[in-house]
Amino acid sequence: MGEVIVITSGKGGVGKTTTTANVGTALALNNKKVVLVDADIGLRNLDLVMGLENRIVFDLVDVVEGRCKLRNALVKDKRYEGLFLLPAAQTRDKSSVKPEQMLKLCEELRKEFDYSIIDCPAGIEQGFNNAVVGADKAIVITTPEVSAVRDADRVIGLLESKELRDPRLLINRIKTDMVRRGEMMSIEDVKDILAVNLIGIVPDDEKIVVSTNRGEPAVTDQKSLAGQAYRNIAQRIDGEEVPLLNLEDDEGFMFRLKRFLGIKST
Amino acid sequence: MDENNSIVFKATNNGLILLMKEDEDFEKIYDQVEKKLASAGRFFKGASLVVKYRGKTLSPDEAERISQLMSDITEAEILAFDEDTNHDPNVLENSFDIEENDQPVSYIKEYYFKGIEEGVTKFYRGTVRSGQLLNFNGNVVILGDVNPGAEVQATGNIIVMGTLRGTVHAGMDGNREAIVAALNLQPVQLRIASIITRPPDDTGVKGPMVPEIAYVKDDMIYIERFLPQR
Repeated sequence: MGEVIVITSGKGGVGKTTTTANVGTALALNNKKVVLVDADIGLRNLDLVMGLENRIVFDLVDVVEGRCKLRNALVKDKRYEGLFLLPAAQTRDKSSVKPEQMLKLCEELRKEFDYSIIDCPAGIEQGFNNAVVGADKAIVITTPEVSAVRDADRVIGLLESKELRDPRLLINRIKTDMVRRGEMMSIEDVKDILAVNLIGIVPDDEKIVVSTNRGEPAVTDQKSLAGQAYRNIAQRIDGEEVPLLNLEDDEGFMFRLKRFLGIKST
Repeated sequence: MDENNSIVFKATNNGLILLMKEDEDFEKIYDQVEKKLASAGRFFKGASLVVKYRGKTLSPDEAERISQLMSDITEAEILAFDEDTNHDPNVLENSFDIEENDQPVSYIKEYYFKGIEEGVTKFYRGTVRSGQLLNFNGNVVILGDVNPGAEVQATGNIIVMGTLRGTVHAGMDGNREAIVAALNLQPVQLRIASIITRPPDDTGVKGPMVPEIAYVKDDMIYIERFLPQR
């Protein structure tokens, strides 16, 4: 039996879809059978980030309304074996799916796939309820900003009330130099407020924008630091012990030397 | 309607539909199916058929008997015999009137929109944006763009007087003669009848902005300029 993991945040624009695409791709790279479910009906994006938009024929709403079989709606990834996308409908809205239908869908996906990763819409309304109802585990994404942390806190409370205990926290878009200057909340600050276990930290990386626009997840880029962070997170989901990416380590003489020589990226 | 007229066979794209009078006795229907098939059923010898039935609800037992009878007489392989839930009232109402007595099996193509030469047309003024669905039983002319994430579905032709970047489906109910044309044709996905295409994956080089037309030939969608080349 596979695992169903929901990726949620409350606040919009903190990187749920990017994380879903990257973590899912990284898991598939580790030879797992993975399905990415876009639960953001009416505002779908995951297909774009995966570069699979033009392959969609049926979608999640078609499946729950019985217009097609689940197998027909799954879009096979163009690069990796064992990676599939269940796209959301674009011309419908969140009320097109009921939590019971979503629960049933998750049960079916669980039989087929090692990991079903659900990309939750922003907000805490019906879309959130649909995305969360069939999940066994949750990953809450936040950025080191007060507003995102506040929303993450709200979401963690809601998840707990829905019996989704022990969500894992992912802190996205950390800018090391700003943290060092004391202009941005540090990992410790965020952990102090939210008091949940970390599953990973992802540095701010301009390459993410490029990879999103191209429809190629950043994990495929071996040089991308964010890609490395997502690969580590996938390994942790898979039950391996991987140390957190040490973003601070490059501080000091070597870092400055490297930067001076123009080989900053590790 | 005389006594021999309680059933009608209709041919569809992928099989047969058996229409039955709702209040007719099952044994009578059974006899008539036997009679009709005896006179014309050899036509189907060796074929594989999907048969659906309408009008009267049959018990599993009765359905099984008719299915058996049909495969015995026609020597065709009956792949499925189920009630047709895809209800089309037009077909049902007229079906008994258009039947000819001397022709036991009537071969009528499945109904689809045929007004692509001249027929009912919707004119839509403005941009069709992401998440919007424009669906029309007839031809559609859009005086504006179709953006990615938008969907336009029509049973006839689709003409976009602007840039087509979304998903379009012309000839939705099966008309392969339908076309899609746009001043700038860059769709995410383009469907005509049951044929689906998408642009190749190598991104980057987008063709020059010339009016293009998409049509079906030999089960493939072809795209070409529709203005004389200059």
